Amino acid sequence: MSNKMSRRKFLKVVAGSGVLGFGVMASGCKGKPSGGDGWVSSQYEGKGNFPVNLKGRVAISATNPSIERDDEKCILCGQCVDACKNVMGVYGNYPLPLKQEIACVGCGQCVMQCPSGAITEKSHVRKVLDALDDDTKHVVVQTAPATKVSLGEEFGMPQGTSVGKKMAGALKAAGFDSVFDTCFAADLTIMEEASEFVHRLTKKKDEIPHLTSCCPGWVKYCEYFYPELMHNLSTCKSPQNMLGATIKSFYAEKMGIDPSNIVNVSIMPCTAKKFEVGREELEVDGQQDMDYVLTTRELAVLLKHKGIDLNTVAEAEYDSVLGESTGAGRIFGATGGVTEAAVRTAYYLATGSNPPADLLDWKPVRGMQSVKEAVAGIPGVGTVNIAVCHGLENARQLLDGIKTAGSSKWQFIEFMACPGGCIGGGGQPKSMDAVEAKKKRIEAIYKEDTGATKRCSHDNAEIQSIYKDFFGKPLSEKAEKYLHTTFVNRHDRLFD
Amino acid sequence: MAVLVDITKCIGCEGCTVACKRYNNLNFKAKPRNVKDDDNVELDDNRWTVIQEFHGEKNDKLRFVKKQCLHCKEPACASACFSKAIQKDEKTGAVVYYPDLCVGCRYCLVACPYSIPKYQWNEQFPQVSKCQMCSERVSKGDAPACVSACTTGALMSGDRDELLKKAHEIINSDSRYINHVYGEHEVGGAEWLYISDVPFEELGFKDVSNVPVTSYTKSYLSKVPGLAACWALFLSGIAFYNYRVDKNRKSHDDDDQDKEG
Repeated sequence: MSNKMSRRKFLKVVAGSGVLGFGVMASGCKGKPSGGDGWVSSQYEGKGNFPVNLKGRVAISATNPSIERDDEKCILCGQCVDACKNVMGVYGNYPLPLKQEIACVGCGQCVMQCPSGAITEKSHVRKVLDALDDDTKHVVVQTAPATKVSLGEEFGMPQGTSVGKKMAGALKAAGFDSVFDTCFAADLTIMEEASEFVHRLTKKKDEIPHLTSCCPGWVKYCEYFYPELMHNLSTCKSPQNMLGATIKSFYAEKMGIDPSNIVNVSIMPCTAKKFEVGREELEVDGQQDMDYVLTTRELAVLLKHKGIDLNTVAEAEYDSVLGESTGAGRIFGATGGVTEAAVRTAYYLATGSNPPADLLDWKPVRGMQSVKEAVAGIPGVGTVNIAVCHGLENARQLLDGIKTAGSSKWQFIEFMACPGGCIGGGGQPKSMDAVEAKKKRIEAIYKEDTGATKRCSHDNAEIQSIYKDFFGKPLSEKAEKYLHTTFVNRHDRLFD
Repeated sequence: MAVLVDITKCIGCEGCTVACKRYNNLNFKAKPRNVKDDDNVELDDNRWTVIQEFHGEKNDKLRFVKKQCLHCKEPACASACFSKAIQKDEKTGAVVYYPDLCVGCRYCLVACPYSIPKYQWNEQFPQVSKCQMCSERVSKGDAPACVSACTTGALMSGDRDELLKKAHEIINSDSRYINHVYGEHEVGGAEWLYISDVPFEELGFKDVSNVPVTSYTKSYLSKVPGLAACWALFLSGIAFYNYRVDKNRKSHDDDDQDKEG
């Protein structure tokens, strides 16, 4: 007999299996339903309204310029919600339904808290590498004060190691054409801001309290939630953008480079800076001040990609013309630093002499207390009541207090979005003991200040010469054009 | 078991879609198969639920709509499935798909009034894929994974009648809401209910009739089993008759042969 399947046999098998299948189905067998083979954390067991302590996540728009999230890594633990709501006072502080956008100040504190590394900054590393490879571009880099005391952590150095000169050396080795110091621009900011503050104190009292505007996270927060205080914000650009505008005007002119061929890169402890560089109000003559922002973490990635080890790289000085800095510029990285630096120069502007020793080591504005108060006696101006606030939830409580009281007892208030100021920024290296890391970084920053030969911004020789050669004097027409900005009311994007 | 979606409370974090992918072990890396003209991603075999974004006419009403199977009370997909691979679970109300019973005909894809079921076009042995309302979790008393991951309270799970009552309470207490609970009557009602302050047509919801799709076919499909049985009986009768005729003729021929012999 042949082994070949006859047509009859085949039809019998087919019909038979059909009958068998029908029998299985009709008898009620159904097997396992699809789905449910995966894993979710057991904290999500229980009914929908079960009071678990942490869950869910914040919303991040696809168009967010600061941060992004890899869904595959997200474990829905809710740490980002905690950071956004309790530390930064953003999540849960605007009405639902939404109006025009998802509120995000770009601070990046969710990045710092995310335990699985799902939320990261929107990377500019590739773009910077491309710019470095492009011979027609003059790539200029600047480094923020807070990155100098934290970059070392990414290369295994102890927390609070000052690596400013090593960073300058590493950046030169990486191929940047000029390496400038944002601390220089911090000194420039202080010249402008202290002059503005003294001007407001004496002539434009309706713009008191004077609110600092160096922190792009805080500025956006103010635009979202306290638009009525926008005229109190200092019109000064942040140091990053002041230096960016100076590079594309003064430096370009001096070096004879077409500003459109300059690529401005900054090394920042911050993710909100990535949003700030795209602000239209900061453009001068239709040109962006800054092009790319790298966080401290991204710089570590870039250096490692280039095979540069910070431990072994040769130290270098910052490039001249925009590279000198004073102790006042360096303490910008810590909460209270802007205030202390501004008071030093305001004292000088009012009296013509440098401040006394106690204002050079001004303890009341230093440290991690949420809101710090201080009184500065400036001859000729009187006593100035000052508050220093970091963490935007703290800012919310402070500002709500001012709103209810109807007036402010402080004439000068410094706001920093991130806890501890820039040293605790959303672009800083992550660490297991963040509190200790912040403490060590702050210590390192103040050590740099006390070790500096010049402690006040107005003593900076390059600052003096740039005013002589280019800007004239603080608040001059040219300074207003390049160094000052306006703000946008974002309130109606969230509120009716 | 039902879920009430308050569209006004959704902030678009998409935590629900991540919870769904995790619990059902779906592929995070799969590229979206269908992207609509307005850039919204549609459901596919690795996306059992998606969040779609709408901006309103004057760009002042940013709304996010969660899309997944609505788990109809009278599911057209289950009615179209001749192999009972899609069944309405009486205990949880979920419309559940059983891959072991599926023959791959994809009638369910065509039958669904909301175009929810999708097919694994890339697999060698493909299955249909759709939201199962986490039927195993729900039968244990847990909320569906997506509901558990919602931080703002946009998703609420519970008894359908109680949620309906709650939905109407919310609508009556707040004049901004549209006086319509989507899913209460749509094609005979669904386990998933939506309330919104923006008309549902502007949020990509289909305007379907309140008549259950199954009712159009019920009148004659209900007769199919009987008809099939009768037809089988009829054919068996004919076969038996033929067999008898054949047998009789054979024995008759044998008799004739005997006589001749």
